Amino acid sequence: MLISKNWLQEFVDISKIAPQEIAKRLTLSTVEVEGVKVFGEGLEKVVVGVVKSVEKHSNADKLNVCQVEVGKKTLNIVCGGSNVRPGMKVALAQIGAKVRWHGQGDLVELKPVEIRGVASEGMICASEEIGLLEMFTKKEEKEILDLSTVALTKAGLPLATALCLDDVIFEIDNKSLSHRPDLWGHYGIAREVATLLKKSIRSYQTKIVPKGTGVKLTVNVEDKKLCPRYMGIALENITVQPSPVWLQTRLRAVGIRPINNLVDITNYVMVEIGQPMHAFDADRLHKSIKALKHENSIVVRRAKDGERLKALYGKEYTLTKGMLLIAGREKPLAIAGVMGGEESGVTEATKTIIFESANFDPVSIRKTSTTLGLRSESSARFEKGLSPERAELALKKAIELTLALVPGARVASPLIDKKVPLKKSAVINLALEDIKKKLGVSIPATEILSILLGLGFDVSKKKDVLRVTVPLWRAKDVTIPEDVMEEIVRIYGYAKIPATLPTFPITPPPANPLRVLEHRVREFLAYEHGFTEVYNYSFLSPDLVTRLGLEVSAHLELANPLAKDRPLLRRTLKGGLLENVESNFHRYAKVKLFEIGRTYLGETLVDSLPDQPTMLALAYAESGVNTPFFVVSQALKGSLSRVGIEIDFEKSLDIGSLYHPGRSAYVTLDGQKVGSIGELHPTVAKRMGIDARVAIAEIALTALLPHLKEKTSYAPIPAFPAVVRDIAFVVSKTVVHADVVKALKLIDPLIVKVTLFDIFSGGNISTDKKSMAYHIVYESREKTLAAADVDAVHARVIKKLQEQFGAEIR
Amino acid sequence: MPINKEEYTKLQQIFADELERVSELVALEALEQTYFSRASGSFTALMKELGTLSPEERKVRGQELNQLKNELMSQLAAKRADLEAKTLGDIAESEAIDVTQPLLPAKEPGHIHPISQVQAILEDLFTSMGFMVLDGPELEDDYHNFEALNYRFNHPARDSQDTFYIKNHSDWLMRTHTSPVQIRGLKKYGAPLRAIVPGRCFRNESTDARHEHTFYQLEGLAVDKVISVAHMKGVLEAVAKCLYGNKTEVRMRPKFYPFVEPGVNGEVTCFLCHGDGCHVCKHTGWMEIFGAGMVHPNVLKAGGIDSKKYTGFAFGLGLTRLVMLKYGIEDVRHLQSGDMRFLEQF
Repeated sequence: MLISKNWLQEFVDISKIAPQEIAKRLTLSTVEVEGVKVFGEGLEKVVVGVVKSVEKHSNADKLNVCQVEVGKKTLNIVCGGSNVRPGMKVALAQIGAKVRWHGQGDLVELKPVEIRGVASEGMICASEEIGLLEMFTKKEEKEILDLSTVALTKAGLPLATALCLDDVIFEIDNKSLSHRPDLWGHYGIAREVATLLKKSIRSYQTKIVPKGTGVKLTVNVEDKKLCPRYMGIALENITVQPSPVWLQTRLRAVGIRPINNLVDITNYVMVEIGQPMHAFDADRLHKSIKALKHENSIVVRRAKDGERLKALYGKEYTLTKGMLLIAGREKPLAIAGVMGGEESGVTEATKTIIFESANFDPVSIRKTSTTLGLRSESSARFEKGLSPERAELALKKAIELTLALVPGARVASPLIDKKVPLKKSAVINLALEDIKKKLGVSIPATEILSILLGLGFDVSKKKDVLRVTVPLWRAKDVTIPEDVMEEIVRIYGYAKIPATLPTFPITPPPANPLRVLEHRVREFLAYEHGFTEVYNYSFLSPDLVTRLGLEVSAHLELANPLAKDRPLLRRTLKGGLLENVESNFHRYAKVKLFEIGRTYLGETLVDSLPDQPTMLALAYAESGVNTPFFVVSQALKGSLSRVGIEIDFEKSLDIGSLYHPGRSAYVTLDGQKVGSIGELHPTVAKRMGIDARVAIAEIALTALLPHLKEKTSYAPIPAFPAVVRDIAFVVSKTVVHADVVKALKLIDPLIVKVTLFDIFSGGNISTDKKSMAYHIVYESREKTLAAADVDAVHARVIKKLQEQFGAEIR
Repeated sequence: MPINKEEYTKLQQIFADELERVSELVALEALEQTYFSRASGSFTALMKELGTLSPEERKVRGQELNQLKNELMSQLAAKRADLEAKTLGDIAESEAIDVTQPLLPAKEPGHIHPISQVQAILEDLFTSMGFMVLDGPELEDDYHNFEALNYRFNHPARDSQDTFYIKNHSDWLMRTHTSPVQIRGLKKYGAPLRAIVPGRCFRNESTDARHEHTFYQLEGLAVDKVISVAHMKGVLEAVAKCLYGNKTEVRMRPKFYPFVEPGVNGEVTCFLCHGDGCHVCKHTGWMEIFGAGMVHPNVLKAGGIDSKKYTGFAFGLGLTRLVMLKYGIEDVRHLQSGDMRFLEQF
């Protein structure tokens, strides 16, 4: 929203206050001022010019050579404007003027130049070249600023004078206004400025509405919930013409294009006090004018499904059931609070008008405007929830302006006011002690009083309790004591609040074991095992899910996905990781990734919401590596072992089609399945577009929590030396390492460590067999072992291997 | 008989010649032994002969011999230093390595995602201040995400433009902020309570360099008997100083959030220009990094807390935004791209 400093000046004396100061104060206490624009800055050498003649440039297709009169002189100007024509009034930058080429970059001083052989003594400007784009918007790229419709311009007049460009504009962030309907007009902002600067604000006065007859007007509000108040009045003997310059300037300054005096008046009132209004042409309310002359009836009702309305600017809208309409006897006239209809709007021929000033339900307005994709200055204000009391003030102001600005205009009907009883002002009691406690600072009562009174609250003080009456225009956002405190503290200034640290007991906070586990596992995976952490989205495409061989229907789905192709909530992190492997594998020969994140399982409810376990997943692929499995199994086992969790891998054939059937396993912990690990099934790898063996694993971190163990033991350093014996043997390929280790360790307490150091198959070993080689460490706590001691146990080792595993010792 | 003057000069000369011929430490050691070995050194023998002289003579000759011994010993030491320096000079060449060469084969460490890193720093900071770290569901219900947080049933934030809803479960949605955990935390732990909630949030908005539908927040909550706006400012200032240095200031401006009253928008002095204005802070000198406010009585009530007895403040730091500011990341989409060219930099 744009706010004019001159306009504010009408209500509060800020003539001596720097605009930047006002902007800063507003930003720190009320709303965010995003920019301050000083109009007319640097326009000293820009004047109004009248184009006398336009001739084609002999040496350039798109250029014209114009004679432009500027007061007593006539200048030769080369111009590329697409709309230049003889008789046009233009903004002429003379030699020495400073302009911004195409509205961009720094200001450039104009010098006499020759353009393709023709001398140019200045430049005819486009609006953005002299910083007036907001005031004069453009329809096409090469359009120059046309001043012909601006009243009172004559050749040679400085542009700043011609356009009354002595204003400063504050650009306010609309988002910061969303809960303050009272600030959607100059008067509301003026009240804040006055309070902030400790100045008084002029009260908003309107004249008494004269009595009128001649036009019969009836209003029937069918839906009082959606329209708590509807006021209307007819005025006749209207002449529609351009507004006076001051009014045009005011509107232009805040970015509203002047249209004609009646429309301008409704816009003026809206921008001044925030209440949108509408003007109907009374003679166009009904199809048959004569039959119903002087018999105007307006109905406020909900639309029927499929009703159509051509809105202002010509676009036709199909309405749906429930949207609020302003209708005549036969047809819809306007979409209530959103936009008027073209067929009932004011035209140059309008003689009699009906002013509408009403109050509409904010939710209904927002729904309608969103559904239709039609947003307007009016809907923007109504959807914030205006006070019904505002409607009357606006209507009176509009009547006053019409009678003053439109010669001969007169009131032609009684003032109609259909309303549900207006709510009374709320009263809030507030103890000074509570204010001090909640704000953490002691603000003198006199200052509190002056802040609240300045903002329009009524306050009386009884002992140490304030009785605060909320003004009607704040009824929406001030309802509890805390709301009043906010008013006090923001005007008083957050900067003046001391920064104080609260006193808390020094007890350490209870730990979050899952978070500790996440962070630790992250560090071990990254810094010990070389895996890199990724974050993937929670949303997957059905296509990916299908490629993984999973059921689309098992997934929870977004009702309104942003990307239509990714509506599914992930049940596994593997899909995202495999996509990462695929995309990185184009650039890297080695990809080692992991992710920690939630999955969403609709079939299990926890506290009436889907179970959302925190998962850990890993993926690894490297060109030329034929068994990536062990890198992932080592990383998973190793990093979990660091936090006291010893996992096992149990091969199983029912593990699912994602995995390679011969290279996959369940991850188990104390016999309980907590995840899975394996190489990707070659078919799936192909579907994923990965031309390499990929190993993946996924476990539920949440399931590990009960098993977290801190290391709390230590074995004394052995007093006697250990003896290491190596053994190599050939066994069937079905023999697994874990079983060998387990069996050997059980043979004798002297065996303290069994380490695999080689696996070999091929060569002269038959294809269904493999060679395994182990270091076996023998150690005694009581004595230095003699060779005979070790030999005896080692013989049992050999025997065990032969008997249990059918090993041939090499 | 002890040696005379002439023999004395001769011995000096012989020693000098022999020393001159020595070129290795071993030979030097042998030479030293020849002269000064306790048992069989030739110089030691001369010293022993002093005992046969009269006391007066012994005194004079003794001084002379000692002087000579010191002289020879210092020549030996000088020679030793020379030889040692020469040997060390040799290994500098013979055992030289290229110290700039990396370990081969290379061991490449992995990388932790920048959001995890910044989150861990903040979790440490807040736990050191006595805050618990809480978690809550990412797929939330309407009650915790909106209603309990004082969003009226018709609040625009509830529009599906901003919120992802779950198909066939009109009550379920992807949480739009970490604030639902305020309610869950209060219900579970009661007051007093100090907690933070770092986590993933979702907004249904189109993605571009500055907007993401998936982002990270860090929620904070402190509820106790006398918590004031001044306390909120104090804690947030402490956080800002920890993040950006001791001179950092906090600026608060009014901002509306349904679940706090008063509500503020928090800015801190720009860490790059320290307030002078630069591209990072869009020439304002301030960086907007959090929203905050005093917990709304309705929220305390929804959390089962008596708002007459307890007050509190809550804040939400944009974790994703902090990470982008910290590293100068220009496009938020990098964070969830899984692109190793990005991730390997952290």
